Amino acid sequence: MKSYQGVVLRIDLTNQTSRREELNREWARQFWGGKGLGYRYLFAELAPGTDPLGPDNKLILATGPFTGTPVPCSGKLTIVTRSPATGTVLDCSVGGAIAGEIKYAGYDLVILEGRAPFPVVVRIEDDRVAFEPAGDLWGLGTHAVEHQLTDKWGAEYRILSIGPAGENLVPFACITSELYRQAGRGGVGTVMGAKNLKAVAVRGTGGVRVADAARLMDLALKALRSDVLTDTNLWAYTDGTPMIVELSQNAGILPTRNFQDGTFADFAKLSSPAVQAARMAKKACLSCGLGCGNYIRTGRAAVEGPEYETLAVAGANCGIGDLEAVAAFNAACDDLGLDTISAGGVVAFAMELTEKGLHDFGITFGDVERYLEIPDLIARRKGIGAELAAGVKKMAERFGGAEFAMQIKGLEFPGYEPRGSWAMALAYATAPRGACHMSAWPVAEEAYGSRDPFTIEGKAELVRNLQHYNAFKFSLSLCDFWAVSWETMAELLSAAVGEDLAAEELQLAGERIFNLARLFNVREGFSARDDNVPPRLVKDALPSGATAGKLIPPDRYAAMLKEYYELRGWTDDGRPASVKLEELGLAELGRKAGL
Amino acid sequence: MHRLVFAMENCIGCRLCQLACSGRHEGRFSPLEARLAVVSRYGRQGLVVEARLCDACGRCVDACPTGALTMGDGVPLLNNDLCDRCGVCAAECPQEVISIKDDGLPRICDHCGGQPVCVAWCPHGALKLEEVSGQ
Repeated sequence: MKSYQGVVLRIDLTNQTSRREELNREWARQFWGGKGLGYRYLFAELAPGTDPLGPDNKLILATGPFTGTPVPCSGKLTIVTRSPATGTVLDCSVGGAIAGEIKYAGYDLVILEGRAPFPVVVRIEDDRVAFEPAGDLWGLGTHAVEHQLTDKWGAEYRILSIGPAGENLVPFACITSELYRQAGRGGVGTVMGAKNLKAVAVRGTGGVRVADAARLMDLALKALRSDVLTDTNLWAYTDGTPMIVELSQNAGILPTRNFQDGTFADFAKLSSPAVQAARMAKKACLSCGLGCGNYIRTGRAAVEGPEYETLAVAGANCGIGDLEAVAAFNAACDDLGLDTISAGGVVAFAMELTEKGLHDFGITFGDVERYLEIPDLIARRKGIGAELAAGVKKMAERFGGAEFAMQIKGLEFPGYEPRGSWAMALAYATAPRGACHMSAWPVAEEAYGSRDPFTIEGKAELVRNLQHYNAFKFSLSLCDFWAVSWETMAELLSAAVGEDLAAEELQLAGERIFNLARLFNVREGFSARDDNVPPRLVKDALPSGATAGKLIPPDRYAAMLKEYYELRGWTDDGRPASVKLEELGLAELGRKAGL
Repeated sequence: MHRLVFAMENCIGCRLCQLACSGRHEGRFSPLEARLAVVSRYGRQGLVVEARLCDACGRCVDACPTGALTMGDGVPLLNNDLCDRCGVCAAECPQEVISIKDDGLPRICDHCGGQPVCVAWCPHGALKLEEVSGQ
């Protein structure tokens, strides 16, 4: 198949060696790239029960067939590993341009394994791989690391790096690239820290060949003009994700004070007009015509952001109605290497534990100055940061508050209140990596759209279909913000790889990829009991706005989950049944997962 | 006559221009094989956005020892048959947008014969073809 480089670069950190391997083309044909192909390699290479922080865990950097081409919005890199936060399979994507550099260097995948005996930076320039001692960088923030490495090796290098949070094995440490782009969730940065891997710097000088370059360019230009730069998608350019603050406020799903409310009195201070007022420039990832990034400057910090998730979870959810403060919190997390979503979640949880008198962390909702001290404390595990660094699930085990511990499988909630978008509860609960908004985003159709958000009618099917769509789209490393159709993906992919592919085949691949993630988790002992939502969602009614009086009745949630399993061809215990595995070509892997 | 112009404030750094340029002229996608260069990165002082384009200054034409490069209607034109692959044009280009192919021929921006692919792909009008009075 064209559009692949056909090469996997395997890097052994323990022995500081590397080797080139042929890409498994059979797997590429079934799982395509990015998320799916990363899952396939991880499933094959990780023994069940592998310690996420041990040398046997792997970090897979996966590009896709469109990476490095002008297919719009194809600049994302997917990072796949076993999550130290959840124990599940974890895939996490990052924008910028590093995915292109990896592909131009000649690789479809880079697999990092083992554990370096001392801190290192892996430097990749085309077929040259070097292991540079990084003792002098250990302890530094990601911004200083990037500046120092590009000073030394050239501005053409794109870099993945961790800050002190990853070094100190905080379970929600992220990986930063180009200062403000993050692979945020589930502890991908923690795995880097456990491997003594401070940074990966990549420069590629080659190119990407596709089956029919002229046709791919015609299709991609048509898509750019008539499908990307359109009213439906252009919000990403004009506003970026801060636009969602007002949508959530109006729908009553803006998480506020640790999900105690769905509206926030000071929402306007965090909404798009406030962000646009501070904007200096727009910034895109490689090949993206939308450029969702808002580079802003406020009195406290310069940052590309804050994105909606940060404004919601680290803003309203912490009672912080102050854009300058949220921007400063965001910039600090980026530099320290902390996921802003989970960081916001643990801060909000600590605030409520304090408010309820369960444990006094000395922080209260809306206390800006104390709030701004916390990222550094968490990343360095100092003071209350030592407790907060455990994450919400473990904090609840120690201090109580399980009723309002807003996490699933150990991953803290993103910025959508499910009591005002019932399908979102199912999406969070069944996402392979825990409470995640990237597996499916049904809020677009319910809370922000025209479907009744307070019913389970049709929601199992909605979530299932969206999960297949995202599973496939992210396996092509396309960005969430292009609402591309199955047919357009099929056309583009056909021109790129030189086969005649139909949308139906891709849909089946989406289902296969989603089920493979489930198999990984089943193999690690996850089952239906892990697909539950925090008690707050089914017990406490929301107090205000469009969701006033709303909760998700527990019997409705149970019925929605049951319907979802049935639709999926899974057992009552949440395991893919053998008929389904056979249909998806996963029967052998099912046996390996003990099914 | 026309010339390529760059409006920095409209550039989002997507580099679709470079990808389209290399795709059109090289048959593969590679930013370094494009006939223009866009830089969009965060330095210590914040976001840096720069573009290097052929501005038809004619230095490559003046430097060409064999007459392979001539100035057409506001753009340099290369006659492959006359080129002795010396690389002087690339060395002389003040914009550093002439690179050398594996076969030794230089990559010369000829505005794609009047309809530059980079302009067609630029999503927000950062690259434009502007009319200038002839000389």
